Formats: sequence, structure tokens, C-alpha cells
Amino acid sequence: MHIHAYEKLWLALSIVLILALIGTVTYGAVGPGVAMVADSQSTIDAGGIDEDERFSEPRVEQVGENEYEAYVVAYQFGFEPTPIVVPANSTVTLQVTSRDVIHGFEVAGTSANTMVVPGEVSEITVETDEPTEYGIVCNEYCGAGHHVMEGKLHVVSQSEFENRGGDSE
Amino acid sequence: MGQNEAVHAGTEDGGGDAEEFDPIGTLTLIGIYFVILVLAWVYIYFVEFLGRDLVIVG
Repeated sequence: MHIHAYEKLWLALSIVLILALIGTVTYGAVGPGVAMVADSQSTIDAGGIDEDERFSEPRVEQVGENEYEAYVVAYQFGFEPTPIVVPANSTVTLQVTSRDVIHGFEVAGTSANTMVVPGEVSEITVETDEPTEYGIVCNEYCGAGHHVMEGKLHVVSQSEFENRGGDSE
Repeated sequence: MGQNEAVHAGTEDGGGDAEEFDPIGTLTLIGIYFVILVLAWVYIYFVEFLGRDLVIVG
């Protein structure tokens, strides 16, 4: 079978393109360590959040050397705690759950974004850089007040974080 | 290019060694599409996605 040289060329280019797409995604996973939101947490009782040791009192907690965990509850229509205060240059694991309906948790302008499902705990780990302030929006329609549902994520310096008593209000 | 196609239209394309048919316009278009795709992908993935804050790492 005769295949024109040009056709061979663009067949080869399309294979190169496919390999490059797979290659860049592989690089992202291996190099910068980009991960997906996994189903790593066991389910909880969405109606019994008040008795849950993590979510009865939404807060930020130090769990290791420069490692923090934030327990966040989404509800109609807001997030607790507000603001979520975390220290700069640290590793922060956000555990987010809902006590009513499905919500979204998107730190606006960043890659931190997950669904929040009642009874499930969405866990995402991010690394903070310099002190700054982010907004958090709900990106799953959750009811009449969906458009006003927002939160705040404040990345503060280590010293300011300690002055706050290592906890967010 | 249109002329070449007209010549081929009446003949059987069995031998493969027919007259020269070089669709340079098609090749150029595919080349341009390829460059656009590669540049768009580099921008979307490396600049817009990996360049943002708070990349999920776990």
C-alpha cells in the first residue's frame, strides 16, 4: 500500500501529539506531584456531625512538623470556619464535609477544588506559599442562597498564626 | 492542487505511481493546527494549571 509522504508525516505528528499529552500529565504526577481528589476517607453520618470529633468543632490543627489539618463544614449557605486560617510555607490537608446537601469547595483562582458530599469527607492536601487571602466559593448549585455562599482562606505568617493560638476563630 | 485532482478523477488509482500529488496547502494547514495545539497545551497545562497556587498534592 502506498502512503503519501505527507500523510506519513501527519500520522507521525499525531502520534507525537498523543505521546506528548500523556507525557506532560505523567510529568505533572511525578514532578510537581499533582494528585487527584481520592475516595480515601471513610463515610460519616451527615446528620451526626455535631458528635463527630473532627467536624463538631470546625478548626485548623497542627498534626506534624509544618503540617496542618483543617476540618471544614460546608452548609447552606457558608463554610465553617470562616476564615480558615493556615500558616504560610506549610502543608495543609483540608478535610471538607457537608451537613446538608452537596456543595462545592473551590479556593478561587487556585487548583484547590473539590465536591463536598454529605456523609463523605473530601480530602485535599495543598502547599501554601506566601501570606495571602483567598476566597472560597461553592460551585455546586445548593439552593436559593447558592450565589452568596462563600468562605475565606487566609494564609498568614507563621508568627501571626501562633499569635492566634494556632486556631482559627 | 485542484488541477491535479481533476486529472486523477478520470483514472484508476491502482498503481500508486501516478502523477505527483503534493497537497502542500493541506500540509501547511495541518502544520499550523499542530503548532496551535502544542502552544495551547503548553499554556493550559504548564502556565494556567501548574502555575496556579495550591496545587493538590495529596
